[in-house]
Amino acid sequence: MAAEISSSEALAWVAEVFEVPVEKIRPETRRDEIEAWDSLGILTLMARLDEDYHILLTEEEIQQLQSVGDILNFLRKRGLLRDDQ
Amino acid sequence: MAKSRIQGIDIKGVISAVPSRMFDNLKDASGFTEDEVRKVVGMAGVKSRRMAGESVCSSDLCQAAAEALLDKIGWERDSVDALIMVTQSPDYLLPSTACLLQTKLGLPDTCAAFDVGLGCSGYPYGLWLGALMISGGGIKRALLLHGETPARFADESDRSVSLLFGDAGSATALEMGAPEGADPWSFVLHTDGSGYEDLIIRGGGFRERFPKDPRKYCVEMNGANIFNFSIKRVPTVIQDTLELAGLKKEDVDYYILHQSNQFIMRHLTKKLGIPEAKVPLTLGDYGNTGGPSIPLTITQGGLDRPTGRPLTLMLVGYGVGLSWGSALVRLAPEAALGQVEFDNRC
Repeated sequence: MAAEISSSEALAWVAEVFEVPVEKIRPETRRDEIEAWDSLGILTLMARLDEDYHILLTEEEIQQLQSVGDILNFLRKRGLLRDDQ
Repeated sequence: MAKSRIQGIDIKGVISAVPSRMFDNLKDASGFTEDEVRKVVGMAGVKSRRMAGESVCSSDLCQAAAEALLDKIGWERDSVDALIMVTQSPDYLLPSTACLLQTKLGLPDTCAAFDVGLGCSGYPYGLWLGALMISGGGIKRALLLHGETPARFADESDRSVSLLFGDAGSATALEMGAPEGADPWSFVLHTDGSGYEDLIIRGGGFRERFPKDPRKYCVEMNGANIFNFSIKRVPTVIQDTLELAGLKKEDVDYYILHQSNQFIMRHLTKKLGIPEAKVPLTLGDYGNTGGPSIPLTITQGGLDRPTGRPLTLMLVGYGVGLSWGSALVRLAPEAALGQVEFDNRC
């Protein structure tokens, strides 16, 4: 299994996936507030999850991801997120 | 398990055929914003594609390819024993398009001709069938035709498909005649029908012959499921085929993958740990032409063919069905390769 990352590292990872500066996003940031988070952005997210964490994202899971926080929770549920103190 | 090794079969030639009418995604795509187009083009990698239009079918493209091939390799029409037409865009629901092509090509009535209803996996499956027919005895020369016009069943307003597809046909000549000691061809074939709705045209078949909603005559694609399917299944089938053939991945000269989408293909190439130079891309100029993208990439992929040495090619088709398969074959240095254009500019 991939090593755990901190919440701030996870946020930086999400920022990199969607090519936004990390200062512009927080867990509360919604999907429609990120320009690159469209159907093509979802494919990028899927590819990075496969490449970096060997996780396949299903169609149902994609539907549930509506915010950056949802992505962080997804990583948490997969045991990949070490919560920051 | 559908794994086979078949000895002695030779590819005498492969010709691809594309319509002359070209659509430039960056210049000609109205109905989408410039930004949207640039994003799709950047991700899918399709800059332009060839379009059959309403009057040109897969059979027309395959006929053009076959005429050119038969002349190039000097096969008399009445020496062809079998014709396999692999397509999911037939001229009619009935009769088989292969029957039309038998007569249009002037093949004898002693020729066995039939359609195979597969798409993206069609070329490895078609080669397997042709090889089996020849090695089983009775068939000396077989023509494998594989053509699709997917641009004709894409919904123009659906950004995920309308800029992706192009049209193409191909003809491959198969005969007994690999040299003594040549490795047998290896095939590994698979099916997962639970994904049948991930790439589907719902209307026009017998489940719903005359749907009221015209969009049911267009292809629907679940991009996420197709992506997952591709990255899960393609590496495994390649590994299984290498094991069957007793080869290492470095022993393969080229991996000719179905040209689905540049993003998926680059991801697969990285995942497989093979150099990009061994995975030729042709979808930039031709789009995703379905299964015929494999023979099209054999002819147009810029393969380096040293004289005096055959190439070892791993051909991998994956997609609609869900169906996928690989063929590990030998391409002799003297095998004829080429492409013709079907003139439909007016």
